[in-house]
Amino acid sequence: MSARIISFLIIIIVVAALPWLLTTPYWRGILVLCAMNVLLALSLNLVIGYTGQLNLGQSAFFGIGAYVSTILVKTYGWNFWLASLAAVGAAGLLGLALAAFAVRLRGHYLAIASLGFAVITYQVLINWENVTQGVRGIYGILPPVGSTSALFYLVAGIAVLVYVLLDNLVRSPIGDTLRAIREDEISAASLGINGAIWKAFAFGLGAAIAGLAGCFYPGFVGTLVPDAFNIVESFTMMAMVIVGGMGTMIGPVIGAVVLTFLPELLRGFGELRLMIYGLALMLVVLFMPGGIVQAWMALKARIS
Amino acid sequence: MSALLRAESLNKSFGGVRAVQNVSIAVPENSIFALIGPNGAGKSTLLNLLSGIYQPDAGSLYLENKPLIGLPAHRRVRLGIARTFQKIRLFKQLTLLENVLAGFHIHQDAPFWKSLFYGNTGRFRDEARELLEFVGLAGHAGERAGALPYGQQRMLEIARALATRPRLFMLDEPAAGLNAAEMEFLLKRLEQIGRRGVTVVVVEHNMDLVMNVAQRVFVMDHGEPLFEGTPREVQANPAVIEAYLGGEFQ
Repeated sequence: MSARIISFLIIIIVVAALPWLLTTPYWRGILVLCAMNVLLALSLNLVIGYTGQLNLGQSAFFGIGAYVSTILVKTYGWNFWLASLAAVGAAGLLGLALAAFAVRLRGHYLAIASLGFAVITYQVLINWENVTQGVRGIYGILPPVGSTSALFYLVAGIAVLVYVLLDNLVRSPIGDTLRAIREDEISAASLGINGAIWKAFAFGLGAAIAGLAGCFYPGFVGTLVPDAFNIVESFTMMAMVIVGGMGTMIGPVIGAVVLTFLPELLRGFGELRLMIYGLALMLVVLFMPGGIVQAWMALKARIS
Repeated sequence: MSALLRAESLNKSFGGVRAVQNVSIAVPENSIFALIGPNGAGKSTLLNLLSGIYQPDAGSLYLENKPLIGLPAHRRVRLGIARTFQKIRLFKQLTLLENVLAGFHIHQDAPFWKSLFYGNTGRFRDEARELLEFVGLAGHAGERAGALPYGQQRMLEIARALATRPRLFMLDEPAAGLNAAEMEFLLKRLEQIGRRGVTVVVVEHNMDLVMNVAQRVFVMDHGEPLFEGTPREVQANPAVIEAYLGGEFQ
């Protein structure tokens, strides 16, 4: 328990210090993106890593959070926080709605169904022009707080809070139940576990958290266009979860940090940047199939 | 003795194959009931019908007076029906303790907000450790289930199923792949489970086990009931010997 509190304090100190170490507006912006990506990776990890559901639709929930909150603020004049609450609710409910169909599916079939959902959502954002402004986009969106470093503290604070709550959740009996479903659903049913309900729970909660991350994105960028929620985003989130180590709490956080900063650090390579990024992803999956966390554990075991 | 589990005229076909035909059984409360028959006799299908993994095409099924037809497997567990699998189905990546803890699912009553704010709300850790001790795995609680030797995996599956606190415990070939010492241990444990007031149904190939622990034996062949009686009667029945036992008991 005390080890947990100490690591918690270290994280708080690191988060607090980051905007003082990275002082240019550009790098502070990357910090905000990083905190958002941590939230997204945490949300997807609950579904993929802990419940074993191959969900490729997470970009849709991110987008729903962004659009619902922004439209409520810009068109209907809602207060940002109230709008965010509604956006989180909307993303969560749509997650449950998708789960109502998806819980019958497994593995590849679920992946295709959730991918389909992401494609549909993306098309709706493009074509429902009188609500979303389509590809023309929504402009002049203000962040909920004044400065970039304040926005970082806000999003990072929420990410830490979500981390702590999810960490509690996966160490509770609910975590045992979700992992049991991930490992073997028939076996779980033989212990009285209703797989459909718990998968829907993970789906809905994961969608709500992705929606929460989405609330902060438009104010940070200042504009909102559908392309930010292209299905490629779903794969980026999955890469964060896998590179870090799925099914662990800290893994996706590490994955999100690495995959947010790596492309930035590679900017010196110009055109080669994305190729090096892609190659790095392939090497990680090839040589560290359990992600960075498992590789670290293996290294620690070998040393001691 | 009254029947705890009663099945009447159960039928189940897969495509053209009639896996279970017209099977009626009555499992007396507080007994150890064995289900035997040659390979492909329909024993495992029958067990899947009783536990709710399959629903029958026709027939009725009661636990005491509660109808079970239409109830999915996870709902039957709440009525007190637990089972193990012929092909072991552990949560391989989880530890032994986590496997057994998952078995307490239906007895968990901590509200959701407590799980979010406190974590670790499980109050069954001690009981889970007792179950591990009961099946001879006390020292291995933190090990990964998939890393256990085969025989111990079977025992872990038994501990996990017992965590649901069943009234009716069904085991699908629990002795398959066990060595002599493990068999002996399993026999003792089955008898103990029976003495604790749990009704046991065991599908088994191993005749030693059946003849030693079962009070009633139900014999199936080609999906149909062949004979039912005490182990002694089964051993002496010419039809059973013809169909299944061959020369083993003559």
